[in-house]
Amino acid sequence: MAFLEHPPVPVRPDIAAAFEREWARLAGPGSSWTGSERVDMAAAARSSREGGAPSERLPDAAIAVAVRLGAEPGTMNRQEADRASAAVGVGRYVELVGVVARTAAVDAFHVALGVPLPEFPEPVAGSATARLEAAATTGPAWVPMVGGSSIVNALSLMPDEAAAQEDLHGPLYLTYDQMEDLTFRRGLHRAQMELVAARTSALNECFY
Amino acid sequence: MLRASVEASGGHLDARAITNPSIDPGIAGGRALVAFVDAFSARQELDLRRNEVQSALGPAGLVDAAGVIANFEMMNRVAEGTGIPVGKGSLARTESWRAALGLDVFRHQ
Repeated sequence: MAFLEHPPVPVRPDIAAAFEREWARLAGPGSSWTGSERVDMAAAARSSREGGAPSERLPDAAIAVAVRLGAEPGTMNRQEADRASAAVGVGRYVELVGVVARTAAVDAFHVALGVPLPEFPEPVAGSATARLEAAATTGPAWVPMVGGSSIVNALSLMPDEAAAQEDLHGPLYLTYDQMEDLTFRRGLHRAQMELVAARTSALNECFY
Repeated sequence: MLRASVEASGGHLDARAITNPSIDPGIAGGRALVAFVDAFSARQELDLRRNEVQSALGPAGLVDAAGVIANFEMMNRVAEGTGIPVGKGSLARTESWRAALGLDVFRHQ
């Protein structure tokens, strides 16, 4: 698997390592989808942004969410989320959101640096693990969560998805702990990072 | 986070640049960063804008900018897919900014 081939500038090794871990997760069975289905979700989301035909092997409701969330996240709405949750199950819906979101991150980094997108991994055979957080409760968000409705807890119904989100969040931006440090500086200082974040969210029509 | 980080650094920001890229954000490299995000989103002039960020902020700055774009491409999708509401405290703190920048058109409830 080739990540970040011939980048225009040196890329921190923790970013490439995070992408390798993400692709390994993508290929394997998740909590409620097989590896093959997870790769199909990622491919559907990528095709909605970059062109190509989405998989026809997933349920229609899953493809619809992968395509909308993949290309136009700001147009997502509760009706579609509820419809998909009813069709495939809320746990599977949350896992779908996680897979699509992280694929967008991997792809975005490659596009931003002008390097080819990595090929998707070969799926690893096996059954879904059925790991789901029983303590998650329904609140004001569209899906059950543990610990209140927040972006950090958004995928907490499916603990493996929440952990995967955190695993990419640190190398690409800041760890959850580092977010408390408003004077953080690496290649950019914190205000510069937040300007990029705010403009990205504005273009995605996302209040977050 | 943007406003708080600018205040923590003792700097100044013209937040209108978040929704109007013709406005200079007023922080170092700000114009190049906004133009880079716009080029990424439109898939236009990316080579040019990437070079501008690298010239202004160095290779590590370019990598960080690409990383932040990537992270928020992820987090925006998580937020929009799960329908997390913005907390009442955040809404109260950002009321004047939201009004000035026209951000209330985006879903936050």
